Amino acid sequence: MPWPARFDGRLLRLQELRLLLALGIIGLAVALREPRFLGAANLEQVALSATLVCIVAVGEALVIIARQVDLSVGAIVATSAFVSAEWLERNPEGSLVFVLLIGCGVGLAMGAGNALLVALFRIPAIIATLGTLAIYRGGVIVYAGGRQISATVLPDSYGHIADIHILGIPLLVWLATLLTIAVGAAARFTRTGRNLYSLGSNPEGARLAGINEPGHIALVFVLSGLLCGLVGVLWGARFGTVDAVLAPDLNLQAISAVVVGGVSIFGGSGTVYGAAIGAVIFAVLQNGVQLLGINQFWLQAVVGTAILVTVFLYSFFARRTERIQREQRRSRPEPARLAARPDAGI
Amino acid sequence: MSKPVAWLTRWEVFLLIVLIVTLVCGSQASRYFLTTSNLSIALAGMMPVAIVALSMTLIIITGEIDISVGSIIGLCASAMAVCLEQGLPVEVAMLAGVAVGMLAGFINGAIVVFGALPSLVVTIGTLALYRGMAQIALKERGVSNFPEWYQDIGFGTVAGTPIPWSLTIFLPMSALFAIYLHKTHWGRALFAIGNNREAARFSGIGVKRAILGVFVASGIMSSLAAIVLTAYLASARSDTAIGLELPVITAVVLGGVNIFGGAGTLVGVFIALLVLAFVQNALGLAGVTPEEQQIVTGVVLVATLIVFGSSAVLKNARASLGRLRPRG
Repeated sequence: MPWPARFDGRLLRLQELRLLLALGIIGLAVALREPRFLGAANLEQVALSATLVCIVAVGEALVIIARQVDLSVGAIVATSAFVSAEWLERNPEGSLVFVLLIGCGVGLAMGAGNALLVALFRIPAIIATLGTLAIYRGGVIVYAGGRQISATVLPDSYGHIADIHILGIPLLVWLATLLTIAVGAAARFTRTGRNLYSLGSNPEGARLAGINEPGHIALVFVLSGLLCGLVGVLWGARFGTVDAVLAPDLNLQAISAVVVGGVSIFGGSGTVYGAAIGAVIFAVLQNGVQLLGINQFWLQAVVGTAILVTVFLYSFFARRTERIQREQRRSRPEPARLAARPDAGI
Repeated sequence: MSKPVAWLTRWEVFLLIVLIVTLVCGSQASRYFLTTSNLSIALAGMMPVAIVALSMTLIIITGEIDISVGSIIGLCASAMAVCLEQGLPVEVAMLAGVAVGMLAGFINGAIVVFGALPSLVVTIGTLALYRGMAQIALKERGVSNFPEWYQDIGFGTVAGTPIPWSLTIFLPMSALFAIYLHKTHWGRALFAIGNNREAARFSGIGVKRAILGVFVASGIMSSLAAIVLTAYLASARSDTAIGLELPVITAVVLGGVNIFGGAGTLVGVFIALLVLAFVQNALGLAGVTPEEQQIVTGVVLVATLIVFGSSAVLKNARASLGRLRPRG
């Protein structure tokens, strides 16, 4: 057997391991040119910048797996961040738990708005969330009225959320990791999670199998909104300053991370873990461009190239797997009783 | 349903009613609204979006999408700016812009067609790539030493009339696109591809060439929009037209084009563009900020689609009622 087939045989069939390999190669390439990349402080910065996009990408991954898309994530994050920071500004003694609840509540409500339009009114997700993107973003800009809430007027305890370390690793990183694992496990092992994959790969078949389509679609949009609400609160804690125009292209960042993470844009395949690794890959690329002293104007071009290269590779791998499977089927004659059944081809 | 009634329930007729309501409300909101100079300003401001919406209509009818149009405009603007910095005449810069746009559209189409990749993902990638190339070429510089006649393309009107110059680019183009889409077999082929790509291929339609064609058209139209927009803003920068894809897609969808391809008319898109232009203008005259206009645009988009969708909801409700009804 030629080596690529054997090499591809076991572990590398797992898409996430391929992604980790790619991440390792990119990291190694950066580290060889600039050893500072591997410094603890720098790695922590990379991890922190990955976390927020990662949590949004986890929600977006579920949405895309169910063959929908959510373009309004950045606007939801901005609204949640501004509303919760404003409440904290007015009630400096307020409990942080309550701030978290406000932020998540805002996200939940906005996600429910998306869910209503897509699940009940049957508006295609790409258009419905295009509309709510304009409404939410416009809404928060009007509400904020050009105001900026900076760290100086917010209680110190809020900003400290980003400084808390557990076992030497920032709390935000723990949170993102645990959320990714929890959502990933739920998608893999619960009935609802499997239903999302069924709906994504064959909506008609899933409906006929008795899966409640509107309910599941509503669920992914509400979940995505909830996670965005959480990210909004964390955003304020991490960056200190909050305004209405923050995270302008978070929707594209999240979708890029999901796609690079191996989730098919047509739904039904890929994992939440892949999307999370995708978010980390973009954080490493961004950090690498900065560290290597490459002009920051190159960053967008690097990101665009990375997206194109990965989708090329995915389609290449998918076609090769298909070809190999076809050849294997041809070389192994089917058992006679199977071939005789009229529905054997299905 | 008899024929005139069927005609009355068309989406375009509904849009026309919305347009008339907009004009009436606008004239109530401000007495300057229905002046020729104001209508001329409203149209001139919409032209960059309108020009790109023509090719976007074709792309969406084919069942594809092009998210990268804003970035192509930025790249064309950068290419023109670099040409001007080199001391080349503005005519050469415009030609270079069109060439760059055509190439960018061709690259999009080639990756989609020959890579057999989803256009949504590909153009998200080139959205970043083209914007990045524009930034690499122009950095933070802006070029604004355009000759007087060039700026007229964006703001000026045809001598003695209130017709903006940019409209003289848009109108012939929209006639060309409408004839191509609705009166030629190539146009019919786009609908066929959007409805059922496999069937279209088996019936002998050159699917790959058609898709490549609409993406190249999108690139060319984006470069024309880049010329109009740089003239309108009197400056070419690498961040020109960030986020332009949103109003373009909004206009096309509001025009009744099915986002999944296979259905839609350019007349609908045309009316939707007028609606959007006049709604924004009337709101502006009434002292509404651009952000509030953005909300209104979003509400208009979602509300019209709920009207669309509610018919589907009613149909579903009726169907389930039918199931509940005892038989015989």
